[in-house]
Amino acid sequence: MNAHEQASLDLAADAVRQCRALGADEVSATVREGTTIEVSRRDQRVEHASEASTRRLGVSLLIDGRYSSHSTSDLRPEALRAFFERAVAATRVIEPDPDRALPPIALCGRGATDAELDTLDPAYASWSAEDRGALAEALERAVLARRGDDFVSATVSVTDGSGSTAQVTSHGFSDVSMGAWYSTSASVTLSEPDGRRPEGHAGYSARYRTDMPGVERIADEAHERARDAVGSGPIASGRYPMLLLNRVAGRVLGTLSDPLSGYSIHQGRSCLADKLDERIGSELLDILDDPTIPRGMGSGPWDDDLLIARPRRIIERGVLRSHYIDVYHGRKLGRPPTSDGPSNWVLPVGDRSWQELARAHEKVILVTGFLGGNAHGLTGDFSFGIRGRLLERGEPTARLSEMNVTGNTLRIFHQLIAMADDPWRWSSTVAPTMLFEDVQFSGT
Amino acid sequence: MYDTTDPVEVWFQRFGVDEDLIGPALAAATAWGADHAELYFQHSATTSLGMSDRAINRAHTSVDLGVGVRVVVGDQVGYAYTEDLDREAVLRAARTAAQIARAASRPAPPAAVASRRGHPSWYPLSRSWQEVELDERLPLLRRWEEATFARDPRVRKVEVSLADAESRVLIARADGVRATDYRPMTTAWLGCTLEDGQRESGSYNLAARAGLDFYTEERQERLVEQAVHRAVQALSAGSPPAGEMPVVMAAGSSGILLHEAIGHGMEADFNRKGVSIFHDRIGASVANPSVTIVDDATLPGARGSLNIDDEGNPTERTVLVEGGVMRSFLHDAISARHYGVPSTGSGRRQSFRHPVLPRMRSTYMEAGPDDPADIIASVSHGLYCETFANGQVQIGAGDFAFYVKLGWLIEGGRITRPVKDVNLVGNGPKVLAAIDRVGNDLRIDEGGWTCGKDGQGVPVSQGMPTVRVSRLSVGGGR
Repeated sequence: MNAHEQASLDLAADAVRQCRALGADEVSATVREGTTIEVSRRDQRVEHASEASTRRLGVSLLIDGRYSSHSTSDLRPEALRAFFERAVAATRVIEPDPDRALPPIALCGRGATDAELDTLDPAYASWSAEDRGALAEALERAVLARRGDDFVSATVSVTDGSGSTAQVTSHGFSDVSMGAWYSTSASVTLSEPDGRRPEGHAGYSARYRTDMPGVERIADEAHERARDAVGSGPIASGRYPMLLLNRVAGRVLGTLSDPLSGYSIHQGRSCLADKLDERIGSELLDILDDPTIPRGMGSGPWDDDLLIARPRRIIERGVLRSHYIDVYHGRKLGRPPTSDGPSNWVLPVGDRSWQELARAHEKVILVTGFLGGNAHGLTGDFSFGIRGRLLERGEPTARLSEMNVTGNTLRIFHQLIAMADDPWRWSSTVAPTMLFEDVQFSGT
Repeated sequence: MYDTTDPVEVWFQRFGVDEDLIGPALAAATAWGADHAELYFQHSATTSLGMSDRAINRAHTSVDLGVGVRVVVGDQVGYAYTEDLDREAVLRAARTAAQIARAASRPAPPAAVASRRGHPSWYPLSRSWQEVELDERLPLLRRWEEATFARDPRVRKVEVSLADAESRVLIARADGVRATDYRPMTTAWLGCTLEDGQRESGSYNLAARAGLDFYTEERQERLVEQAVHRAVQALSAGSPPAGEMPVVMAAGSSGILLHEAIGHGMEADFNRKGVSIFHDRIGASVANPSVTIVDDATLPGARGSLNIDDEGNPTERTVLVEGGVMRSFLHDAISARHYGVPSTGSGRRQSFRHPVLPRMRSTYMEAGPDDPADIIASVSHGLYCETFANGQVQIGAGDFAFYVKLGWLIEGGRITRPVKDVNLVGNGPKVLAAIDRVGNDLRIDEGGWTCGKDGQGVPVSQGMPTVRVSRLSVGGGR
């Protein structure tokens, strides 16, 4: 633990002490500290450079069964004293809630050591402004090297950050977690004769710099995705097989998140409330929630309730095995807590490429991106705008936009018929490209 | 407790923010030269109360304090912020932001004498939110919850929240301008779940730059009535057919169509870079002559209104499209300098942690000549869109989407069956050209809309008269 992290832990501990002294029965204090640095380039020069450091204190209070939460970035001692006084006073005004309590201390703690989680790249400390600038310049060069006559503009961005979270409770929890991350992206805009300016974007994030793809790959993808949008448009409405590209699979998988939560279940707004141990998808649907994956983008030693991070099977061969039950809603529902929400989702992979899967079908729509849309956690209905390609026996025959895909969370995963061999590792949703049959698309 | 009636400059003096800090910080920011530099000091305080399971059982407060330093050289931006207003921390942030100018050969701007810039007040308050004790807010929550249960025996769950925010900003620019603003905001949200064989949920929210007196009897009644009405309507609603069809947008929050189809594409940062589909359309006819579209910061009390923008410039009512002809982009200082026009006062940021971007404020279409009933009657088979959730746009291609929570089928010129949860997609220029009827019933929606761009969320408003779009793609389930 370095001096910064110790200072954060001391600040959190002092917040607990002060709030207790003012009359709080139980206190949970969190200090989040972090630095984010970004450089973006356009027209062969730096367009935007920023550096930001932040430090923020949050406290949750329990007084006579009453609960409140408060946060501030004004950390001057005299301001903090007034902040705590107002927080305690505000708590006394509201009504008791018997279900509010700190989690049992036996359930709190680390599920993995910092060394096991491996979320702090040792090389981050030596990642300099010059390194960052050189990477941005190299990526821009790679993007510009691929420009054709229809090229309009390109923006590249290199961002990274590091931070720590110190947490102290009045019932004995005290620990700090830390991490760093890198993110690199490129956007390319092309022109069409009709005035449209289609764009393509490629972006990657990772915990270790050495896990990031090279600039050539990012440049290739940004151009390919922009090219994919040129001349795009809708085709006839109908039911088609859908290949859901790995990097955007989280959008459809994400329709499960809200109805899996204890909050939605308690509010009567979940289509998955009474589906535990029931089949909600095909045998291929398997979701492992694992907050302990080394270098995982969603990894951490505990969740927001301080519950010990543990791998948990959410869906096993199509059968729903677990909800996300946080401490508060667990008490409301009379159920033991599991975790307050998703960390990393890991899905199984198949043994064929998505191109092979596509070739097996007369027609299939490859969804490469989404535009707007939403999902209803209670009914499970969803409707999203899409962009992508129509593939006939694997060959692209149309570039698609101005279309929607429509379905229902309780049915779409029964239509899952194959997984490709390409897990997307640059996100907290580690899923391969997925093939669904008989999906409703609307176009013309 | 602070004296909440203090002028904003006085408010910041208690944090040590005065000309003795501002002068050296601006000097550090412009040490390598700059076309523009500013310090954006912000103090904001929020309070929210929540009620569920028949008890007011949640309270949350937050305080945010800091300064963002921006240095502009041409269209290059250096940015840094600090939450510590200690002199050394502010100077360090200024020196970091100044690095952008090191490679440029701009002269340092001449030393300017500080001059205060006044402004009109589009959100006067009789009492600030900090003067409203928590005790005064509790009866509202209880009243709304009880009224919701009383309205329909099928109501099973009710959640209510009431939130307020007060933001004070002080903008100090290298050209000597000093501008301040006090920005209140309040938001009320009510959600309910009904059970009648099956379950459904509905919600409604209200938001404004206003004080407690915003919650008139009519608005309180509407909050409850609309949340329940939406849940009831959803109980019997189905999925519409899929494909292209005529769409009638109801008056009010249908302004989301303008926000996505044209609003973002008119933000001048996209246009000066040539990446917006509208980049070369100023002066061109883009819509029916009955279409006039405005982005307005001056609607009294509106969530999207601003007395000054976040660069300290005066705000205005900006006409984007007049009689079907495209008139103006939305400018911040950088794009205004690029185009050689005055700023439209559209430079906005989420907080001191974020650099300025050209953004919308309250976007709406002026009323047209048509009777709304005639517009509906003119459609033989189509969709009537009434309640919306969210939208998105691809600026360059012009493709956009918005999500309809609730609407109706139009069959034979009459509204028939309710529909729900459907995404609509279209292309901005095509849809503008396809607006062929404009109603005489403009209504500015009072919902709590937030616009996202480059990772920044800012409060906006939107409005619309009833309009007909001759064709839009409906993401139905059949």
